[in-house]
Amino acid sequence: MIELEKIFTNRKQLVKYVSEISPWLQNINASSIMGGISQADRHLQDIDPIKYCRTRNFLNGKVTKLSPYIRHGILTLDRLRNEALALCKDPEQIEKFIQELAWRDYWQRIYQRHPKYIWDDIESYKTGFQADEYEDELSEDIATANTGVACIDQFIETLLQTGYMHNHTRMYVAAYVVHWRRIKWQAGAKWFLHHLIDGDPASNNFSWQWVASTFSNKPYIFNLDNVRKYAHAEINTNSTDNAVLDDSYETLTLSLFPNKGMKQ
Amino acid sequence: MTALVWLHEDALRQDHPVYTAAGEDVISYFFWDENYLQEMDYGFKRLVFIYETLCELPVNIIHGSTVEGLSKLAENQSCEKIYIPATSNPVLQEIIAELQHRLPVVVVEETPFVSLTKDLDIKRFFRYWKKAKKLAMQPTDS
Repeated sequence: MIELEKIFTNRKQLVKYVSEISPWLQNINASSIMGGISQADRHLQDIDPIKYCRTRNFLNGKVTKLSPYIRHGILTLDRLRNEALALCKDPEQIEKFIQELAWRDYWQRIYQRHPKYIWDDIESYKTGFQADEYEDELSEDIATANTGVACIDQFIETLLQTGYMHNHTRMYVAAYVVHWRRIKWQAGAKWFLHHLIDGDPASNNFSWQWVASTFSNKPYIFNLDNVRKYAHAEINTNSTDNAVLDDSYETLTLSLFPNKGMKQ
Repeated sequence: MTALVWLHEDALRQDHPVYTAAGEDVISYFFWDENYLQEMDYGFKRLVFIYETLCELPVNIIHGSTVEGLSKLAENQSCEKIYIPATSNPVLQEIIAELQHRLPVVVVEETPFVSLTKDLDIKRFFRYWKKAKKLAMQPTDS
């Protein structure tokens, strides 16, 4: 048994050390998101639950970025709820904030009760397609952020560079993978779990199932207008560069799910 | 007598109830278990994040197999029990089950977000939320 080092003069040295004790990994670029109790506390000081409720769906909204710390037990949902309640006069003001914590608790409860649901379809797809009509593997162009759909490539690039994505962009990318490319949600979920620092089998996989419609009443889709509404100036939402997303919900539903409504 | 705590990646903090259960005289260990980390298929960014966190915790980081390492440590230190934070992760649960064949193990639950009955209807989120909301919106004394 070898006891490993814990004291480093700087982060670069620590990162190098971790690469030496993880020889099976090829890509050894660290994220700007730092681990540690002190980092979790720093982010915790910065939460604004009221503003979160107003702006959380916007890609530059006031989200907490605490998910990696919650995922690894550095912060508990209980503590975060208590800290948030202490910042407001009326709990109803931050109901959406607490509800997001509750989603995480909910996913964990399903995980504990039905561990197999993590990788099995909980229900059938409500897309007009059977599960075997979806591809098993993620395409290389998706894995490398080269889909040719500008905003999707930017979202994937963020995942690859930082190990983090805003929740809304996770939903956009998941919907693109499953519904535009007709790839099984399992392939996308596995890919996210590899790259996301906060990747949690319950929150991640059940959210993919929710998007896919194997754990919801209908598939989640979006269009370019929706991205424009929530994106910031750095996201390319040009029509020409995002043509496959640029349509009404009605037209997209017809083209993505041509069999929907027909007897299966 | 010194108690052993196995701190795994789902519970990287000092005030987990596992420490209350284990008592004052305690040594905790984290295992940089290559088989486990490869099975989880974590990317490098996550491994750095976990390691940075471990460096701030009073925990010894051991390079090697969790089961073999803990068994050896328990034997060397004449340790009566190993305390482990509860987890939903089936891979960690398998390791815990293997340890239970060899050693007395105490699994300690996390502080709950809301305390609800185990048979609660969780088929859809809003059925759960209807039951959970009142408790979820109140602070606890922890």
